[in-house]
Amino acid sequence: MHLRRLLAVPLAVPVALVALASFTQTSDASVGVGVQASPVSLGSMAHRGQRYALPLDVVNTGTEAEALSMRVERLTRGPGRAVPPSWIQFAGPAVQLAPGKAARVSLELVVPGGATPGEYLSDIVVSGAAAGQPGMGNLGVAAATKLEFSVSSAPAQGAFSFPVWMWWAITVLLLLTVTVFGVRRSGLRIRVERGSSHRDAVDHQGEPHG
Amino acid sequence: MAEYEVRVRRRRTWGVVLVGLALLIAVLVFVNKPAPAATNGGSISLSLKAVPTIRSVTVSPGTASFSNCTGGSADADTASTSDALGYPNGHCWLGAPGANGTFPIKITYQGPPGQVFVVGANASPSGGGPDWALCNPSAACTGPGGAPGVDQYMVKNFGTDTNSSTGLTGSLTCDPEFSSRGCSATQGQSEKEGIELIGPESSGSTSSSWTVTVTWAAAPPSS
Repeated sequence: MHLRRLLAVPLAVPVALVALASFTQTSDASVGVGVQASPVSLGSMAHRGQRYALPLDVVNTGTEAEALSMRVERLTRGPGRAVPPSWIQFAGPAVQLAPGKAARVSLELVVPGGATPGEYLSDIVVSGAAAGQPGMGNLGVAAATKLEFSVSSAPAQGAFSFPVWMWWAITVLLLLTVTVFGVRRSGLRIRVERGSSHRDAVDHQGEPHG
Repeated sequence: MAEYEVRVRRRRTWGVVLVGLALLIAVLVFVNKPAPAATNGGSISLSLKAVPTIRSVTVSPGTASFSNCTGGSADADTASTSDALGYPNGHCWLGAPGANGTFPIKITYQGPPGQVFVVGANASPSGGGPDWALCNPSAACTGPGGAPGVDQYMVKNFGTDTNSSTGLTGSLTCDPEFSSRGCSATQGQSEKEGIELIGPESSGSTSSSWTVTVTWAAAPPSS
């Protein structure tokens, strides 16, 4: 009995400390999400019927793991049409991020063939999935960045779009054609013959002297 | 026939002057050369600040329990208890408003100057049944005296400076607690807030456990 009392104090202290530490961790827990501050934009005009990759940097700034989801929503005021949400395709349902970790996700802008030319402006909203504990007030987080681009009024390039190698091949063929025509028009004729020592000898003999 | 010897001599004067100058420069360079350090090398630490490239919002804690619930009907045996919402139109609090209030939610904005928005969402029962829809000025409450009606509820956020008199909506809207003029926020700015919840007149779900979510969002500045 006396021994049990002696052991109780040294055991109780670490147990209390562990309990306090776990309580502190719970109360310090936070949820947070961040997204690149610079707008998501294209370097050039978008063309109807084309697809464009849009990289996006996201961060989990909280102390809990997050499943980040993305959507398109117009928050920013300004000129330009709102981007139809269906134009932006996300790679998957959500991005899993550990606390403090960042990731680069790839979105895809799909401009329909019938898109109205002009400027477009919306926001990409990255949301952390709230823990969703029943009976609790769940506090969620989100971060938004601008999405801006312009759709060209030029006709859709889908019908004329070729891979790069095909452009090179077409260029080389054109150059060859022009060269052949040019040579023919100039009247020059290049004849390639096998050299003959006998003929050379005859030719030398036939040369006029004097 | 007389022989002449012609000797061509380059004048040495300029050569001597040039050599002298070169020597002088060499001596000067040598004299001005700093003495070698006593150690083999040295370094200094330079600090550099760069502008933030990420815009974020962090909320602490991630979850919290409503308490101080009041209202409801004792006659119908549906009066609120301290931690459970009663019917009709019970009130529950996360924190307390006012000068001596408590504001348990800390919202921190990081990044270049921007805005902080806040948004509510439907309350969903864990036991199945219909959600409670948010009602607010843009989605009118259908209960008595403008209180939430059947399967409706209202959520308001309040801060240390101002009380939010209007309910949250289901769309991202400016959080006025961050700035008296709009909801602008600067790097590292944090606000402490609380939440008030007003329950429905009655519920179509018999669930006794509900999930309520309020979300804060960091956004670019209004242009």
